[in-house]
Amino acid sequence: MSALRPARAEDALLGVAPRHVAEPATVEEAVAAMQACARDRLRVAFVGGGTDLGLGAPPRGLDVVIRTGRLARVVEHAPADQIVVAEAGLTVAALQKALAPHGQRLALDPPFPERATLGGVVAANAWGPRRTRHGTARDLVIGVSLVRADGVLARGGGKVVKNVAGFDVPRIMVGSLGTLGLLATVTFRLHPLPEAAATLRVDGPQAASVRTLVTGMRDAQLEPSSVALHAEGGELTLGVRFEGFGPGVKQQCERLSALAARAKLEARTLSDADAAAFWARHDALCTGGAVRARIGFRPASLGEVMNDVVAPLGRALGGGAAVDPAVGSGAVGGTPASAAVAIQALDRARNAIRAVGGSLVLAEAPPEVRASVDPWGPPPPSLAVMQRLKAQLDPEGRLAPGRFVGGI
Amino acid sequence: MSVQADLDTADLARRMAAVVGEPWCLSDAASLSVYECDGLSHGRVRPRLVVLPASTDEVAGVVRVASEAGVPLVPRGSGTGLSGGARPVPGAVVVSLSRMKRVLEVNLDDGWIRVEPGVINLDVTRAVQGRGFYYAPDPSSQSICSIGGNVSENSGGAHCLKYGFTVNHVLGARVVLDGGEIVDLGGPAPDSPGYDLLAALVGSEGMLGIVTEVTLRLLRKPEATRTFLAIFPSSDEAGNAVSAIIAAGILPAAIEMMDTLAIHAAKAATGLAWPDEGALLLMDVDGPEAEVVHTSSRAIELARKAGALEVTVPRDEAERQLMWKGRKSAFAAVGRISPNYMVEDGVIPRSEIAHTLREIGRMAAEAGLRVANVFHAGDGNLHPLVLYDARNPGEEERAAALGGEILRLCVRLGGSITGEHGVGAEKAAYMAVQFGPDDLDTMARVRCAFDSEGRFNPGKVFPTPRLCGEKPGPYVPHPAEAAGLAERW
Repeated sequence: MSALRPARAEDALLGVAPRHVAEPATVEEAVAAMQACARDRLRVAFVGGGTDLGLGAPPRGLDVVIRTGRLARVVEHAPADQIVVAEAGLTVAALQKALAPHGQRLALDPPFPERATLGGVVAANAWGPRRTRHGTARDLVIGVSLVRADGVLARGGGKVVKNVAGFDVPRIMVGSLGTLGLLATVTFRLHPLPEAAATLRVDGPQAASVRTLVTGMRDAQLEPSSVALHAEGGELTLGVRFEGFGPGVKQQCERLSALAARAKLEARTLSDADAAAFWARHDALCTGGAVRARIGFRPASLGEVMNDVVAPLGRALGGGAAVDPAVGSGAVGGTPASAAVAIQALDRARNAIRAVGGSLVLAEAPPEVRASVDPWGPPPPSLAVMQRLKAQLDPEGRLAPGRFVGGI
Repeated sequence: MSVQADLDTADLARRMAAVVGEPWCLSDAASLSVYECDGLSHGRVRPRLVVLPASTDEVAGVVRVASEAGVPLVPRGSGTGLSGGARPVPGAVVVSLSRMKRVLEVNLDDGWIRVEPGVINLDVTRAVQGRGFYYAPDPSSQSICSIGGNVSENSGGAHCLKYGFTVNHVLGARVVLDGGEIVDLGGPAPDSPGYDLLAALVGSEGMLGIVTEVTLRLLRKPEATRTFLAIFPSSDEAGNAVSAIIAAGILPAAIEMMDTLAIHAAKAATGLAWPDEGALLLMDVDGPEAEVVHTSSRAIELARKAGALEVTVPRDEAERQLMWKGRKSAFAAVGRISPNYMVEDGVIPRSEIAHTLREIGRMAAEAGLRVANVFHAGDGNLHPLVLYDARNPGEEERAAALGGEILRLCVRLGGSITGEHGVGAEKAAYMAVQFGPDDLDTMARVRCAFDSEGRFNPGKVFPTPRLCGEKPGPYVPHPAEAAGLAERW
C-alpha cells in the first residue's frame, strides 16, 4: 500500500486528529490501505478536497485519514455515450476541463470546483445553483466502485444511464459522508455544454413576489437552469439563469421579464461580467461564515422559511443566505458575535423550519456551537434501518464513527 | 401437499382473513391460479394464499402474521411485470395491492401527489392534467401498470431519456417492513437528513418491504412538443442519426427506433402507412416553444444528413398519437407475425446501436430465428423480441438461449442486462454475468438492512440465495446453510 505518513495538524477532522494519513495513488493502493485498516481495526475517515468537512459531528475517534487527492485520473470518457468514469479524487474543475473540448460537462456546480473532488461531492451531496434544472449527484451518478470497510472492492450501477440491474448502490452512497465505504471511482452521466446562456437579476423583491415569480415561471413552462435567491442585510436579490440554444434562451428571458413586470418588478439581463459576479457571490454565500447551515423545505413554504428561518438566522449570524426557491434548498451562514447567539438562533431556525416540514443541518460551526446544537437535528423515523445499513456495510463501526445522523 | 401443510395453510388463511376480511383472502385453486405468474407467463408457481389488503394497517397486519408464521410474502401490483418479479415461490402468500388505489392528496402548489400503490400510472396524470400537470415516467404499459409496481421496478418509459426514471420522481414512500413496522422515507421537502433509503427502495423489486403510499413529483406539461418520424434504409443509418442528434447537444424527450420486422408488426396491428423496408425513428422534442422549434428542425436536418429517406411531421395531435400508438403497441403487435415471442430488455452504450443490431441479426440467423427490435434508442435500451413457434420442438429453448446471448452481448459492450423490466426471477442468473460476487454481496447487505429474514419476494434478483450476516454470539450454522442450500457471507 501507499506509505502512511504521520498526521499533521491540518489532517484533523472536526478537531479530531488521526495518527496516520494515507494518500493512495491508485485504486489498488486504496484497497490495500483499507485492508490494512481492517486488519488492525483502525478507525478511518476519507478526505477529498476538504470543502465540506464541517458537515456532521466530530468522529468518536480516528486513527487514519485517507486522502483521495492522488486518485485523480479520468478512467474513461465516452463522448458519444455522454458518460464519464473518473477516480474519486479528481476535482470537479479538472473533470470539466477534460470534458469541455468535447462540448460536454458534468451538470454539477458545487462551490470550490478547483478543490471539490467527485467522491467528496457525492459523499457530501454537494450541489450548486444548477440544481434547479439538473438536480444533485443523486440525479447524475450512474455507477460507483467503493472500497468497503472490510477492504473489499465492490461495484454498483454501471456505465449506461438506463440500468435497473440490482440495488441502487450508487445513489445510496450519495450523502453518506464516508460512513459506508470509500468511493474509489464514480461514473456520471454528462450533459452538452449549452450554446447560449443568460442570467437575469431582480433586485429587491419580497419573498411573496419571488414565490409568485417561481410559480409563474412554472406555469409559463419556462425551464431555468438556476433560480437563486440571495438574502443579505435584509435585502433580497433573485437571479435566474437560462441555458440552451439561442432562440430558446432569448424567448425565456423575454417571458421572465414580462412575468416580473406583471409583479411590478424589473428583471434585468446581466452582462457576462455581472452574471459571473452574481454566481461568484452565490458560491460565497453558500460557503461563507464561521457558522453555516443547510436547509431543505417545501418550495410552497418559501414565505415562512424566508421570514421565520432565513431572515432571523442570517441576522443573528451577521451574514447572508442563498436559497433555491424552486427546489426548496439553501444555505445560511455568517460569523456571529458569540456562540450563545448562534446556538439560540440555530435552535429557533430549526424549530421554525421543522414546523413547515423542512430540515436544517449544520454545515460549519466552531466546537462551542457544536457542543449545544445537534448537527443533524432529531433523527429521522427510519433511523433504525439506517443503523442496520451501517452495521451491514461497516459492522465494526470504523468508518467516521459518530459523524453521521443519529450517532451513526 | 401433506396433510400437515394443508392444516397450516387453513390456519394461515384464517389468520390472514382476520386481518383483511374473509372475501379478500383467496385460497381456492381457481383464484390462486390467476396469481401464478405476472406478465412473464412461463415458470408458473401457485401461491399458498392471496391476500388483498385495503390499508397500510392491514398490510402491516398481514406482514405480522407472515412474520410470526415464517411465511414468505410476494408483493404484487397489476402483474404486468416482464421479468417474473411477482412470480410466487412455493409456499408464499401473494399480497396484491390492487385494492389500495386511492389518490390521498394532491398539492399542485408544491407539485406533488400522494397515492396508494395500486393507483394506475396513467391515472396519476389523469388526476392532474386538467390543471396542466403530469407524471413523467411513462412505461408502455402505463394504462394498466400500478405505481407500486413502478416503484418496485424503477420503471422508465420512452420519455425517461430527458425526464429520468421513477427514482427521479418519487419524493417519499411509506413502507411496511418485516415484523409489521411502518416507516416513512423521504417526503415532499428535499434533503431530509440521513441515508437515501428511498433510493434503495425504488427498484428493489419488492425485496425490502411493502410500499403502501407513494409521494410523486408532478411536472408542468411542457409548452410545446414536436414529433417527427424518420424512415432510414437500415438501422445503421438510423443509429448514426441518433448519435448525430445527441452529439449536437440536443436532448430529445424520446427517441424510439423500430427495425423492419417490428415495423411489419406495427403496420399489421394499426394499419399505419409505414414502409416495408428499413428502420424508423420516432422522436419527441419538448420544452419552451422557441427552443423546440429550433431543436426539432436541427434534429430533422441531422436525420436527413444521416440518410433519412423520408421525414414525416404529424399534422395534428391525433396523427401524433397514432404514430406513438404504433410504437407503444409494437410488443403486442409482434403476436400478429409470430405465434410466440420473448421480450428481452438489455442496455448498450448508444454509440453501439448499429453494431449491436447487426450482431443480433447475425446471432439470430445462426440460431435460425427472427428478432424484431423495438427500443429506446436515445438511451440504448434494446427490446429485442425473439420470435419462435412453440409447436416446433426445441424452438422455445433456442429462443431462450438466443435471448441470453443477447444479454451477454449487452454486458460485453459495457451495458446492462435490464434497463427497465427488472431482474426478477427471470434474469437472476444473469446478474452474475454483469456483477461479481463482491458486488452482489454489497447489494445483498442492503437487503439485509431492511429484511434480514428474506421475508419479501425471495428468489429474485440474486443468483444464489444467501443469508444475512451473523448475529453477535457464538456461531451457529443456519439450517439452510448446513443443508448446503445457502451460503453465509
